[in-house]
Amino acid sequence: MSRPIAHPLVSRALRTIDRLSPPATVEAHCDIPCGIYDPHQMQLAALTIIRMNQLIEALAPGPDNAYHNSMARYVAVKEEHAELLKKEVRVIWGDYFKPEHLEKHKDLHTTVWNILKLAGKCRQEVNMAAAQELLGSVQKFAEIFWDTKGAKPHRQASKQGAAGGELVYPDA
Amino acid sequence: MRWLRRMLGLALATAFVAQVFGLARRWPVTRYVVEGPSMEPAYRAGDRLLVNRLAYLRRPPAPGEVVVLGDPERPGHLLLKRIATAPEGDPGPSYCYVLGDNAAASRDSRSFGPVPRRLVVGRAWLRY
Repeated sequence: MSRPIAHPLVSRALRTIDRLSPPATVEAHCDIPCGIYDPHQMQLAALTIIRMNQLIEALAPGPDNAYHNSMARYVAVKEEHAELLKKEVRVIWGDYFKPEHLEKHKDLHTTVWNILKLAGKCRQEVNMAAAQELLGSVQKFAEIFWDTKGAKPHRQASKQGAAGGELVYPDA
Repeated sequence: MRWLRRMLGLALATAFVAQVFGLARRWPVTRYVVEGPSMEPAYRAGDRLLVNRLAYLRRPPAPGEVVVLGDPERPGHLLLKRIATAPEGDPGPSYCYVLGDNAAASRDSRSFGPVPRRLVVGRAWLRY
């Protein structure tokens, strides 16, 4: 049951070698078939951010409590959904995607990076252009995701009222 | 004594060069890095270890030993598991029963059954 540890000098030498030529991977994976992921939630979050931008822009400024109350609520929901979106994309990106997926979809990392940056921008600013761009990046991410699942993704109108936009669905 | 030292130095240098230039995949001692939680707490993701590929030339793997083996379900992938005693009796000399230490998070012989001995790459030796 013992698992001897190498002498610190040996360890240092080996780690130096590792840096020059990385060791092969041995998997001690769970592979519990719990691998259930869906990029739908983050698309809904992107639509919510668009809708909050619309509401904020449409809100008539005033000195009354009603104005401040509504503004505070819209901003809070925008914050919350941008953060939710960032969490969702990090989980799917980190836990689901594998190197072989990356070989086919070389722009995956860039897409994720864009999503994280845009979601941050959507929190910092009232910026409809950034919100629309965020939805576009999330749609692209969803299409990559469903493609790796062997589904043929398609876009269709969200039918979510004023927020508009399209959502990506997998074809059976 | 001097020639002995020189030979030792030469051997070390050769081993170093071989490890660096990827000629090391089939060497008696191979480096691996662990991924995933199925061997916790003995081995954690990110642990690095040396594997002795010659360990089972003269004897079969013994229960309790940690081995690197080819994944019977995914060719080309390697697993890190511990040799165990099969619940349904001895699987014979050319098979091994393997389990992950972290049973809740392990895919092992409980699902894929005993593994042919030729899939065993070697024995986990040193962590570094």
